[in-house]
Amino acid sequence: MQERSVLITGCGIVSAIGQDCGQVLDSLLKVRTGVGPLKYLKTEHTEFPVGEVKLSDEEMERMMGIVPGTPTTRTALMGMIALHEALGEAGLNAQDLMECGFVNGTTVGGMDKSEQYYLDFIGNDSRNAYINTHDCGSCSEMIADKFGRFRIITTISTACSSAANAIEMAADMIRLGEADIVVAGGSECITKFHLNGFNSLMILDHNQCRPFDAERAGLNLGEGAAYVVLEEAGHAAARGVRTLARLSGYGNACDAFHQTASSPDGEGAYLAMSKALKEAGLKPADIDYVNAHGTGTPNNDESESQAMKRLFGSSMPPVSSTKSMTGHTTSASGAIEAVICILALRNGFIPVNYAFEHPMENGIVPNMDLNEGCRLRHVLCNSFGFGGNDSSLVISAAE
Amino acid sequence: MESKPIKILSVKQISIQAPLSEEWMDNPLNYSEDYVRAVDPDFKQFISAGDARRMGKLLKRTLATSLSALQEGGIDNPDAIITGTGFGSIENTELFLDALVREGEQLLKPTQFMQSTHNTASSLIGIHTRCHGYNSTYSQKGFSFDSALYDAWMQFRIGRISSALVGGHDEMSPVFSGFVRKAGHVKEGEICSEAAVSVLLAESGDAYCTLDGVRLVDTPSADDLKAIVAEFTASGIDAVMTGRSGNSENDSWYGFLDSLLPGVPQLRYKPLFGVNFSSSATGFYAAACCLRDGRVPSVLSVSGKPVECSKGILVVNVVEGRHYSFSLLKPVCGR
Amino acid sequence: MEEMILKLKQEIIEVLNLEDIKPEDIDNDAPLFGEGLGLDSIDALELIVLMEKNYGIKLQDPAKGKEIFKSINVMADFIQKNRTR
Repeated sequence: MQERSVLITGCGIVSAIGQDCGQVLDSLLKVRTGVGPLKYLKTEHTEFPVGEVKLSDEEMERMMGIVPGTPTTRTALMGMIALHEALGEAGLNAQDLMECGFVNGTTVGGMDKSEQYYLDFIGNDSRNAYINTHDCGSCSEMIADKFGRFRIITTISTACSSAANAIEMAADMIRLGEADIVVAGGSECITKFHLNGFNSLMILDHNQCRPFDAERAGLNLGEGAAYVVLEEAGHAAARGVRTLARLSGYGNACDAFHQTASSPDGEGAYLAMSKALKEAGLKPADIDYVNAHGTGTPNNDESESQAMKRLFGSSMPPVSSTKSMTGHTTSASGAIEAVICILALRNGFIPVNYAFEHPMENGIVPNMDLNEGCRLRHVLCNSFGFGGNDSSLVISAAE
Repeated sequence: MESKPIKILSVKQISIQAPLSEEWMDNPLNYSEDYVRAVDPDFKQFISAGDARRMGKLLKRTLATSLSALQEGGIDNPDAIITGTGFGSIENTELFLDALVREGEQLLKPTQFMQSTHNTASSLIGIHTRCHGYNSTYSQKGFSFDSALYDAWMQFRIGRISSALVGGHDEMSPVFSGFVRKAGHVKEGEICSEAAVSVLLAESGDAYCTLDGVRLVDTPSADDLKAIVAEFTASGIDAVMTGRSGNSENDSWYGFLDSLLPGVPQLRYKPLFGVNFSSSATGFYAAACCLRDGRVPSVLSVSGKPVECSKGILVVNVVEGRHYSFSLLKPVCGR
Repeated sequence: MEEMILKLKQEIIEVLNLEDIKPEDIDNDAPLFGEGLGLDSIDALELIVLMEKNYGIKLQDPAKGKEIFKSINVMADFIQKNRTR
């Protein structure tokens, strides 16, 4: 197969630490967390700190020029904001999109509205428009259709690795010549449904989460959206668009252990990272930074530590989780963290593992220094989902 | 179109027709109701009581059809497990959501939440077969199975895998059957149904037929459709399997086939298997069975007459008049 | 206590959907987790919900659950001492 390499020519993000790439960069450099008390979601469980996007639905509708009363969902709105930035940076208009693919990752879809209007769906016809916004695929269409008609639209729903898998699928499409540009990423808002779901699994921290800390007690949920514009190298050169970074490898593996827990030795994680390195043609020692999945749960951080130790041995690069700043953005996390990796590559720093204090007994010790002015060549970005859906991306500096 | 052969070693279904069987080809079950739940086999032959206790119907059906397909195809550990599901485990979603809305945010059940995420089916198969390979889940309404199939197709072409288990699985609770009617996902005259279909693909082994091409496209122009149909029928086909259902709006989306393939017999599976987000998988399954047996039974034929089956079947799915998928199934060489 | 133990077994069977098991099949001293009934961490979470719903006992730490749910007798004893309903 003829080699077609995959470049990243645009990215967009909205999260608890910023509503575009510039704001997110600023927060990362100032090591400023976006996790705090619940403000937007109407729930009884105000005891849980969360990483909310600091915008109400109404504010997001105004930003996107949506007529009040148009059925929208919070996940779709965040997706539109992030996609708008990504397409703008890549210089793609509605006409261009007719030749582009769109692969979105989400699991909650329009559940924020469904949980509000469920009884109406049953008892009357006043909210029927929101039945159409419930499922994952409809959410992706709403985000995509705001900007034009893409050539192919599909949605991946693999819990916390959805956006990472979306990026992988998009890259495969480009490598096979199915398209020259595919936009990929994910979007997820916090809902009562999954806040309560995670609470029933007793994996939420009642305080600021502390990834890789010996005293970590669980995760903080977050929300947000991010997209990367993946483009075939020759096509990008012909268009004269700036390359932000390169997607040099990626890997997907199944832990095959348990629906909600990772295996003690992190087999799925190890395989995903190994596959990603192999596809990138790199050795573990070539990796300058790992953006870990690092949720702050006792289980993940132990499992991921073991997997990284197996892979890197004595040449462990700096590792950090940025989830203590953004919260765990579930289906969007793979893309949000990919964008964070791109910002790190382009601006020469290593994100800090905010809130870490006490080293685990057998875990990795995360990075606590920004290392400003450093030069990163290759970065590994991990996303591990419920059900053992493990994915890793290798993002490299633009040449 | 790629020349590398991908074989369909097995396809198994649980639907509103007799489960895990091709009885429907000559003795279909007929329904007058507009909402029909799947006919389930005895799951005990596939799943222990200890495992089954936590599974809703979708997961049991996923596992039963997957294990059957793997057994028939003689593969224990496929290189990839890729699933499409439009709504996921809607029964568990509904139980959790209902309790949340009616009883509040305390004392909710973790099992219901855990089983409600869309990728539970795909990971369940992974756990059960101890497969560490590629594992993904697509959720794009009636295009979910098609997306999963397309991904499998790409994994083969990239050279990462030599076998894949691809599924289209959707269940429909009574409450949600009302919702999908209101939303227009299931139309006037269509049966709202359930389906679980598992397809085993591999580069070698005894096969029903071969998979010679998969294409997805959104909002194609007339020229696009002309080019795709020409490409996919260049080597000749016996018939085209369509998602026609008898509903005029739905059927209008397949009108392009009348003009592009005049005289080519059209087949339809929705009157037999009903409509749900995984019904395109039942169409794929039906086409594979026809090629395996070398005949198209009259129950599938729009004209009501049996159709020859020696050259191949083009399977076409159109969702909401905008998402189009094309798959080409060909007989195994030498038959 | 015997009546309470029978009720507890019925509740456990119902909540964990142990369709093929009757109260008399569960030995009061046999381990519930790992071997014996073979329950796992998700079952432990369901039992935590059951404890609060039916007996008003709130368990904050899931790790403590494993000790309390050691066997039917241990569980019944704990409920007897801590129930608020």
